[in-house]
Amino acid sequence: MAILEEPIKEVLELKNYINGEWVESKSDQVLDTMNPDTQEPLAKVPMSTRDEVNAAVAAAKEAFPEWRQTTPLARARCLFRLKELLEENFEELSRVQTQEHGKTIDESRGETRRGIEMVEVATGIPSLMMGYNLEDIASGIDEYVIYQPLGVFAHIAPFNFPFMVPLWFSPFAMATGNTFVVKPSPRDPISQAKLAELIDEAGFPPGVYNVVNGGADAALMLCEHPDIKGVTFVGTTKIGKEIVYKKCGEHGKRAIIQTSAKNFLVVMPDANIEATIPALMTSFFGNTGQRCLSGANLVIVGKDDAFYKKVLAAFVDTASKIRVGYGLDESTQMGPMQSVDGKERALGYIEKGLEEGANLILDGRRPKIMGDYPDTCFLGPSVFEGVTPEMTIGREEIFGPVASVMRVESLDEAIKLANSSKYGNADSIFTASGKTAREFQYRIESGNVGINIGIVAPMAFFPFGGMKDSFFGVLHGQGRDAVRFFTESKVVIQRWL
Amino acid sequence: MGLNTASEVISFAKKLEENGAKLYEDLAQRHAEDSETLLSFAKENKKNIVQIERAYYGVITDAIEGCFAFNVDTDKYTFKTELAEKTNYSDALERAVEMEDKIIKFYSDAAEQSKSLMADVPRAFRMIANKRNSREPKLRSLLNKGG
Repeated sequence: MAILEEPIKEVLELKNYINGEWVESKSDQVLDTMNPDTQEPLAKVPMSTRDEVNAAVAAAKEAFPEWRQTTPLARARCLFRLKELLEENFEELSRVQTQEHGKTIDESRGETRRGIEMVEVATGIPSLMMGYNLEDIASGIDEYVIYQPLGVFAHIAPFNFPFMVPLWFSPFAMATGNTFVVKPSPRDPISQAKLAELIDEAGFPPGVYNVVNGGADAALMLCEHPDIKGVTFVGTTKIGKEIVYKKCGEHGKRAIIQTSAKNFLVVMPDANIEATIPALMTSFFGNTGQRCLSGANLVIVGKDDAFYKKVLAAFVDTASKIRVGYGLDESTQMGPMQSVDGKERALGYIEKGLEEGANLILDGRRPKIMGDYPDTCFLGPSVFEGVTPEMTIGREEIFGPVASVMRVESLDEAIKLANSSKYGNADSIFTASGKTAREFQYRIESGNVGINIGIVAPMAFFPFGGMKDSFFGVLHGQGRDAVRFFTESKVVIQRWL
Repeated sequence: MGLNTASEVISFAKKLEENGAKLYEDLAQRHAEDSETLLSFAKENKKNIVQIERAYYGVITDAIEGCFAFNVDTDKYTFKTELAEKTNYSDALERAVEMEDKIIKFYSDAAEQSKSLMADVPRAFRMIANKRNSREPKLRSLLNKGG
């Protein structure tokens, strides 16, 4: 198969998008965004100064009163135009994601589609934002609740889904009448710049949506800024819990903090193995294992040695045949890690697994790469057998294509094992039994539960959030939860005398 | 060649449709008496591409196993579309029948392989395969007419 054409052909100099204008940063700190497949530079990303962050927030604050007064239907129309533009630019947006992140073109298109779905759902805001009322709560007295926007919200984006994750929040924030500042990940900020171009073209008033590039410093400024009402963050538990959530608390902000995971995929003896294996591949190795919904621990249940061996053999055999290469090659099934740091981190965990006595039955440290690309960021699928929950690789998030296989005798044991994790983001069971599935669903301590599903990614009209150390906050992103997060409920009790 | 990802299978389907359309357009140019039927096939091929891409782009997300959905051996479905100067009409129509059989087989196999994974895509494949079944009798009637 041919390599699809690269949309980014020269090194871009990224600017901030503030108050409807593309503004060059005055910062002397600039990072290079690299194509992880080819190691070619794609963009220069400024680490914006405090003044620039303040300017973005000030623009959003100034735009708020008028945007708030814009009718919900008119706000929705802006989103409809944005949706059309996203569809028109679907392929380019997807290829940009592959270039900046490394994921396969199928994965990038999937990310684009998910992002568009958020916009589509948010266009329903005239219905979604309605309050409710009750007449005669006492004689001649009525009561009703209205939902009002709060002001400026900020989003601190992760590198693993550079296009989609900010869209979990921004369409809902803007649809409800708030204004927005997004700080993309400096590792892959280009698709966010492209998105801002389309938002501009869609006719959102200046200041309603702003992009400020930067790193940890800019993120911290947003968390501490007195004019920001709330922050949404997707990233590690370490940063999310100890910095962002804490700062938001100190500064009286609302927060949605979606963090790390260690997901368990439980295969019961009655599972349909043939249909389960592709789901496991996508779960463990899709997006090169760099997602909070990725499978991490594969738990094979039962006393039957033959069943255990059959599942393990099919899993390892299929994983060993995964085609690793450039994501713009349509035949690639797994792209590289997004960064050298990410690869080193995963390699460190593989070493740790070996040190702690796990058995590396598929070694992806030196993968065969399709095409002539530097191996700088590439890893192949790795599978460890004989992993225990006490081992580092059994309990910590690796965020790479490394699977840990565990074996237990019963469903009860599998659930207890999964629930012993400090995380609770996405756990799945593979079974033909409704009773077994129900018990798993009932008892598992996880925000997203899969039944014969490898990647438990909630649709745009359902909330997305984990439990335990995978989530901090109350309301989740997406759907009705997002509408509630981005609005304040106001109760009115009235009596006309 | 083996195809596993949804992207490469969609591209392959597109190529089959484009190649098929080209064959019909070439034939229509040479045999004006049957051009209406032949060009209708070519037009339908182009509609099929739109239908397939719409199905794929509409459902491709991480909820479906896009990178692992297929195991298509392209060798089973390849066909020649170039017509030599001397190719007579009957041979060309026989070749078209053979091509249609292969394309139907491709869509049927791909739909079967991905039916539990790719949501609306297998349905689009099956619909196109079913629609195509009506082509063979039409091509045969052109043959019987003296093609």
